[in-house]
Amino acid sequence: MTYMWALYAREVKRFQKIWMDTVFSPIVSTILFLSVFGIVAGGQEIGGLPYVLFIYVGLLSMNIVNSSFSNPAFALVIGKNTGTIVDLQLAPLRPWSIGVAYALAALTRALLTIGLAVLVTGWFIPELGINNPFLLLLAFSLTALEFGMLGVTFGMWAKGFESLTFMTTFVMQPMIFLAGVFYPIANLPAPWDTVSAFNPLHHNINLLRYAVTGYSDGNPMISLVVVAALAALVFVAMHLSTKKKMRAL
Amino acid sequence: MLPLLVSQVSKTFHPSKRPVVEALKTVSIKIEQGKIHGLLGPNGAGKSTLIGMLSGMLLPDTGKIEIFGLDIVSDTLEAKKLIGVVPQEVTYEMAFTVREVLHYFSGMHGVPSHERNARIEAVLTDLDLLDKIDERAKHLSGGMKRRLMIAKALIHKPKFLILDEPTAGVDVALRQKIWQLVRRLNQEGMTILFTTHYLEEAEQLCDEITLINHGQVVREGNLKDMQTEFAQNSIHFELFDINVPHLAEVKSIGVEFEYPLTDLGPDMHALTSHYTGNIKSIKSGAASLETIFLELTR
Repeated sequence: MTYMWALYAREVKRFQKIWMDTVFSPIVSTILFLSVFGIVAGGQEIGGLPYVLFIYVGLLSMNIVNSSFSNPAFALVIGKNTGTIVDLQLAPLRPWSIGVAYALAALTRALLTIGLAVLVTGWFIPELGINNPFLLLLAFSLTALEFGMLGVTFGMWAKGFESLTFMTTFVMQPMIFLAGVFYPIANLPAPWDTVSAFNPLHHNINLLRYAVTGYSDGNPMISLVVVAALAALVFVAMHLSTKKKMRAL
Repeated sequence: MLPLLVSQVSKTFHPSKRPVVEALKTVSIKIEQGKIHGLLGPNGAGKSTLIGMLSGMLLPDTGKIEIFGLDIVSDTLEAKKLIGVVPQEVTYEMAFTVREVLHYFSGMHGVPSHERNARIEAVLTDLDLLDKIDERAKHLSGGMKRRLMIAKALIHKPKFLILDEPTAGVDVALRQKIWQLVRRLNQEGMTILFTTHYLEEAEQLCDEITLINHGQVVREGNLKDMQTEFAQNSIHFELFDINVPHLAEVKSIGVEFEYPLTDLGPDMHALTSHYTGNIKSIKSGAASLETIFLELTR
């Protein structure tokens, strides 16, 4: 296990070295979003939930997804560009353990980012509480690991920063915005409400929001099953990609 | 148990939108315990492809590679623990210090955390880098970065060291230091394989060499035997004026000329008579590695 934990520690150290980009920047964007939407829609409610709380949990969930995906994806693409990817190829590490080390580092970054974000911004939201702490821990971990492993999978295949920008701009961001971060998907006109229900990210955000506020945009148990199943599926994809790419880069 | 046994290994690349490259064609190499083995060949001969496969970074299409009896494909992890590799490209973690680079890299090779500091200090002392331990790797000079690459390869105390052009781009003094280190590691029992473009380096260090060209082994064996074999059949000479009519049997090899010998007395007489007053130097005895290399790879 020394092997895998050393890689995990290296990846944690890496994002700590550039904490302005990796930790502080998402907190600033959360404050900006919160300020704008807090002013525009202050006092409104969604299903009995203050809108500012609804969107706050959505924004935190968005940060979990973004931080978890970006951490390994950027680290691997940078490694390919600088040639340091060879360190992974030379080390006696199993493919799955490489992916898990990166995904755990992504989880750590998400925990640190969200923890600090809540410390800094939580006082804006007096209604903030935790509906189900155990479910929150589970949903948080599953979401961060799922997108961390997705970041590893994508980082293994991405040829350069262009691919990464394409993925984040044209795939991740639309998925995030159509996942119910800013509004309940039930408010969308047909067929977009149905389309959004099939957006895998919707289930991550819905589950996290339910764990924090008790409000759910659909059955939270279905979301839990979907999130767990997707995490397992992404693990398999990550393992196969790492196995293939570690011997072909 | 041989440190390295390569049997009938081949590798073909199929890059998209580019022609297929047959990098290695049924290559076989054997390296014995405690030897310094040189892998030589012109650019594009297949050396780096072979090293990529020995390091477990590339899969062979056919054949088998064993590191101390462990199959690099099926026993990858165990085999990787036994080897240290200095890749050709100098790469480093931009944000990390020398200590951090070695700390994490050694951990990824299974060195327990309580042993890492002592190992890092020992290997950096060997490589004259101890005073740079807390410098960021990106601030090191080119030669220091090269030494850091060697430190990474040695940090987990491998039994078999692979050096892919370790002295490329380093100054003479550092090259000498690297040679000394290679000799010392070898005396301590480490088997070493290295590639180099400096033929005098291979001549200085290697017990045995393998010459590859166009993805095939063109010659392998003991360097001294090879030198004797080539020297027995020819002599080499340099001329003041090379723009003269040459004997039919004379071949140009770099700045030298080679003349095959069948009968020493009459042949020498024929040569000296033909080039009277124009012979700058004439050599017999061991052929240089450069001569063997040029002869076998042209």
